[in-house]
Amino acid sequence: MRRVSGLAIARIALLWAAAIFVLFPMIWIALASFKTPSQLNDPNLVFFAPTFASWENVLSSGILDAAGRSAIVGLTTVLISVVVGSSGAYVIAKYRAGGTATRFGMLAAQVLPPAVLVFPFLTMAYALRLNDTLVPVIFAHLSFVLPVVTWFLIGFFEAVPRSLEEQARVDGFSRFGAFWRVVLPQVLPGLGAAAIFGFTLSWNDMFYGLILAPGKAAILPVAIAGFNTFRGVQLGSMSAAILIAVIPVVIASFFIQRKLVQGISGGAVKS
Amino acid sequence: MATVTFTNVSKSYGQTQIVDDLNLVLPDGSLTVLVGPSGCGKSTSLRMLAGLEPITSGDIAIGDRVVTGLEPKDRDVAMVFQNYALYPHLSVRENIAFPLRATKTPRTEALKRADSVADSLGLSHLLGRKPKDLSGGQQQRVAIGRAIIRQPSVFLFDEPLSNLDAKLRVETRTELLQIQRRLGITSLYVTHDQEEAMTLSDRMVVMREGRIAQQGTPLEVYSAPANTFVAAFVGSPKMNLIDGVIERGTFVSETGVRFELQTDQEDGAVTLGVRPDDLLVEAPGAISAPATATVGLIELLGPRAIVSLSASGLTLTSVVEASNLSGMAESATVGIRVRPGAWHLFDRESGERLNVRES
Amino acid sequence: MRFKYGMLAPLIAVFVAVVGFPLLYALYLSFTDYKLTDRGAPDIVGIANYASTFTNASFWEAFGVTALYVVVAVGLELVIGLAIALSLQKQKWARDVTRSMLLAPMFITPIAVGLTFRFLLNDQIGAIPELLRGIGINYDFFGPGRALFTLAFIDVWQWTPFMVLLLLAGLESIPKQPLEAARVDGGGPWYIFRRITLPLLAPVLVVAILLRALDALKVFEYVYATTRGGPGTETQTIQYFTYQTGIQFFRLGEASSMAFVVLAVVLTVIVVAFRRLERNRSA
Repeated sequence: MRRVSGLAIARIALLWAAAIFVLFPMIWIALASFKTPSQLNDPNLVFFAPTFASWENVLSSGILDAAGRSAIVGLTTVLISVVVGSSGAYVIAKYRAGGTATRFGMLAAQVLPPAVLVFPFLTMAYALRLNDTLVPVIFAHLSFVLPVVTWFLIGFFEAVPRSLEEQARVDGFSRFGAFWRVVLPQVLPGLGAAAIFGFTLSWNDMFYGLILAPGKAAILPVAIAGFNTFRGVQLGSMSAAILIAVIPVVIASFFIQRKLVQGISGGAVKS
Repeated sequence: MATVTFTNVSKSYGQTQIVDDLNLVLPDGSLTVLVGPSGCGKSTSLRMLAGLEPITSGDIAIGDRVVTGLEPKDRDVAMVFQNYALYPHLSVRENIAFPLRATKTPRTEALKRADSVADSLGLSHLLGRKPKDLSGGQQQRVAIGRAIIRQPSVFLFDEPLSNLDAKLRVETRTELLQIQRRLGITSLYVTHDQEEAMTLSDRMVVMREGRIAQQGTPLEVYSAPANTFVAAFVGSPKMNLIDGVIERGTFVSETGVRFELQTDQEDGAVTLGVRPDDLLVEAPGAISAPATATVGLIELLGPRAIVSLSASGLTLTSVVEASNLSGMAESATVGIRVRPGAWHLFDRESGERLNVRES
Repeated sequence: MRFKYGMLAPLIAVFVAVVGFPLLYALYLSFTDYKLTDRGAPDIVGIANYASTFTNASFWEAFGVTALYVVVAVGLELVIGLAIALSLQKQKWARDVTRSMLLAPMFITPIAVGLTFRFLLNDQIGAIPELLRGIGINYDFFGPGRALFTLAFIDVWQWTPFMVLLLLAGLESIPKQPLEAARVDGGGPWYIFRRITLPLLAPVLVVAILLRALDALKVFEYVYATTRGGPGTETQTIQYFTYQTGIQFFRLGEASSMAFVVLAVVLTVIVVAFRRLERNRSA
């Protein structure tokens, strides 16, 4: 019989507490999305007859269109980031292209306060009559997704042994052929993780969206915030909208956790 | 099939000269081994031939074709890397077929030839596996299979055995040699292991600091090292190198140890080289030599033993037949002499070999 | 060479378009009196915006608010995150599910988190104040002197998982031998943690703290979702203040100069942190 130490009990208790702490708000929101407005005002209510009124309301409110716009912004941003980021990251990692300046630029761009860049985007959007469209939002999201994706990929490319691409070149491929056919397939899992992470960053951003496209082209977080501000507080619909925003990324996150650490820390932590 | 020629090839990074004016001919169908300590420029030379490193000056030709400046893919060479560089995302069959696929051979034909190459290497049962599911020896074979499938003009080997354990290394070495002989493809092989170089090569090229220290057959290099560097590098255990002077045909070390060489070398400062096998030890009680030494460590290696000796400040190594070890124990005093004729003299200043005979 | 720069060029082009050019343009804006409502070219006003930023008491107050917020939030995240990471490391049962669940909050859009807690912590209809009342505690989460800590608490809810993620990876990359050697040498768990684990984890800790602090500095959504800067200006964070100056009062020039002051402070913090790190490494 193994002795259960006090430390082990504390450990289990901490994890249970953390689990409850994490889950309670999510469950409460899920419950709230099935409550009537009057039920929502009763904080003690746990068991009740569910109503789908909030869901019907939120689905007819254009939230799905907003989700669609968020998806367009996210996918476009990630696609551009992955295409130019992977080719750039490859030569930065393997050929030291651009020197430390490029590398540092990618890192520094990640700490830029969004307030620095948002006003130029806004004035340019006005000048080009693109305000309240998705175009400036995509540009703005590129400003933080591109450096992050590139930063991830530099680390992943560095982990690919150099001899692999040299072998491919001796075997009959050009430099680009070696990159495309041999090196890129090696970083595919990392590329996938970087793409998903970049997508969640774009999907979750509200600051740029709120300023650059507050109206008819509102992206999902802005639309969710709208449930709270302009039509008075519609708690049920807001809860349903929150769930719509949360569920896809939480599912996506499940697949990328391991790769994420390696990417974020740029090799400071081996996973 | 081709003769490979390096003409005045140099390579430098900024101020650092990696390879300095290399002139080298790899005869058609031969296996040449480049050997030397790390940083001597041997790998760089190989990579310049592969086209993976640009050349600072000079030319490399494969057959009649000058390949300087060509991309690796246009040189018709195949290479086996130290870590095998197998493509992790491809199966064994696809790995072997890869060079053919890269050069646009139809898929079915490429795979058919991959199968027959795999068969010749005893890999048939592994065709569907991924590299990570193979042992080190199997990975090595796949890398070799990938190199031979295209029947290139030149094979390049960059320390291909150094990641294998000792036993497998010897087996694979033999196998590599058989494959090379069978195919008769000109090969350049790089290693830091002088024993590997000795056993494998038709011609052996010892490099030091970007230059050729000596080239020749293994026997030539072993029996007549051109300088103290090669003398110390080739052969195991290491050759004894002793600084001293010649006085009327007798060698006297700086610390006073005398060896009667009966050489016609004129008197003056030299470095004497004696291989451990040629440093004879006389058991206590049977000492007739003018020099004596104290026995240090005795390391038994089966039929022979390596005996460390110290003789008035000199540390020497001798290899002794196990049957002659009787009476020898640590800290015993023994006589030492040099096997007649089995010595090498080098200029003390330059380290170059002095070509002198026994008088 | 051609290959190298051919591959790099698209990245540089996009990067300059979305970061480089806007950055320079923002710098230009910060020296003008640009207002969103103006027509025609703005006037160059030199360092007037910077001068007014530096003398703006509200700006510095927002700075202080943000600093307090960052210290409280990141400090708690570090302690809790380390405890959870240590616990998770030993967790064998339902390992992947446990980890995924505990890490989920960091993937939720912050505005949703903010609104969730606004609802959950609401004094009248929130479940948590009600629960607290049940055990006799009356606590208004968004009351004076408390709102900022509530915001920090929301930050802790969402971002402790990030800490856990990094620290867990750090813990798992610590070599086993020193820990085993310390146990053989007779160290207790606390002693081993303090003398072996923590020093070996130090580089990861620094990276984690830095990443979290830089991100917490940008807090906006929670404020926007819950307090809108109130009560009074107690929770007016720097990002929210800049947003108000630029968007609600249309003073883009001044807002840009504020953003640059923040950037300067951020860069200083990073440089100082790295200097420290280097010095510790060489010492």
